Amino acid sequence: MTRILTIANTVWLEIIRKKDVYVLLILLGTLLLILVSLNIFGLGGATRYVKDLGLLMSWFFSWILAVNISSREIPTEESRGTVFPLLAKPITRAEFICGKWMGTWSVTCVATLLFYFIIIIVVHFKGGTFNLAALLQAFILHCFVLSIICALAIAFSTRMNNDAAASLTYAVTAVSLLVVPRVPEFMARETGFSANALMVIYNLLPHFEVFDMRIRLVHDMGPAAWSTVIMVACYGVLISFIFLLAAWLAYRNKRFSRSNLM
Amino acid sequence: MYPVSMDPAIETKDVSVVFTTGKNDFTALDQLNLSIPCGQVFGFLGPNGAGKTTTMHVLLGFISATKGEARIFGTDVRRSIARRRIGYLPENPDTYRFLTGRELLTMAGRLFLIGRGQLSSRIDELLSLVGISEAANRKIATYSRGMMQRICLAQALINDPDLVILDEPTGGLDPIGRMDIRKIISDLRARGKTVFFSSHELSEVELVCDHLAILSRGRLVAHGPASKIVPAGENLEKYFMKVVGNP
Repeated sequence: MTRILTIANTVWLEIIRKKDVYVLLILLGTLLLILVSLNIFGLGGATRYVKDLGLLMSWFFSWILAVNISSREIPTEESRGTVFPLLAKPITRAEFICGKWMGTWSVTCVATLLFYFIIIIVVHFKGGTFNLAALLQAFILHCFVLSIICALAIAFSTRMNNDAAASLTYAVTAVSLLVVPRVPEFMARETGFSANALMVIYNLLPHFEVFDMRIRLVHDMGPAAWSTVIMVACYGVLISFIFLLAAWLAYRNKRFSRSNLM
Repeated sequence: MYPVSMDPAIETKDVSVVFTTGKNDFTALDQLNLSIPCGQVFGFLGPNGAGKTTTMHVLLGFISATKGEARIFGTDVRRSIARRRIGYLPENPDTYRFLTGRELLTMAGRLFLIGRGQLSSRIDELLSLVGISEAANRKIATYSRGMMQRICLAQALINDPDLVILDEPTGGLDPIGRMDIRKIISDLRARGKTVFFSSHELSEVELVCDHLAILSRGRLVAHGPASKIVPAGENLEKYFMKVVGNP
């Protein structure tokens, strides 16, 4: 565990010192400022509107952060050659992958926590409130989504360069976020091969919609049953584990040299 | 520390590495057999592309041999435990430039599970050994190439390794830096460590090595004690050119 934490700590130092998180915080702050000012033009429904758009943006920004950071970690180590002195030490490739995942996941979770704080503050100043239990559940489930995205990006990056891994992760996660929830609707209209193809997509891709509690928060519907939250969290752990296992299987016997990615 | 072992520090048996690039196979190593006893300073020579770095990558588990087997102190190189007693400095090393020199060594030490107290004194000792104590708290991004080489050498020695693998350790160093590296290698030999290093600087190899091996096109073409490998009346450079031919 010490080795995994050491690698994760290095990911943290890299991200802080390269100022990746600050850029996204500035963007979120700017956009929330726009949200506040939009009210001036009478677009009303103020707090509900701010909650909806703020949470949407926190999902969007944390998604970008998770994909960009996770997909670049391993390819950058290889192209710069820093992976060689690292793997010459007594760490296994599984520990290396877990360390990278833990580092990127924890960074994106903390960044998301900051996004949530900004939303809470803006909503508070506009006279609104959140149900705290529901907010906690939403954040926990949001973190599991990020866990899956980071694991997927790392799995792709074990065999691809940074850009290819990021592009593929964006494509898969965008389909999971936007298309998968509507697949049952499409399937009702299709038969034969199309219906089977849709069924495969539905079962193969992660179901991010089950982690999404934004509607409950926006419409003050209160917290979900904790048993349901725990079940969804277990699903998140399972999918993350499957992607990390895939990453390890792809990486464990990889015969790489610096010239592979240059 | 570790139990005394009669196993050679490095042992390879018929190690071959074949890279498949499209339709063509490229043999980087062809049935390499080496047995390097503990305590030797072993120079590994060869022209560019001879397979020196590939050999090191096999020994470090970065590349699996297509055929044959390689062992470090009797342990299969594919097991991570084999790397507990190794220190490695790659050719043209690069490292985490966003860290300070001290942070890099701390990270390296933690990967070897060295305790905090012991690690702190070891880091001070190494920074002094490689001559960058004053720059220890500066980010590596501000280091010169020579300083980068030195901090990377320090991280290779963090675990007080029994086997040190150095790939072109003096590349990019000025004459003083080269002399310092030679001194460090001599110190390691005096402490009974095994040093396996590649270099293009034949004169340097002659100065520090007990044994030499010359590799050409993936094959071992000469191997023996440094004092005996070169026939009388020839120098190492002439002999090297003769055995390597025109690669």
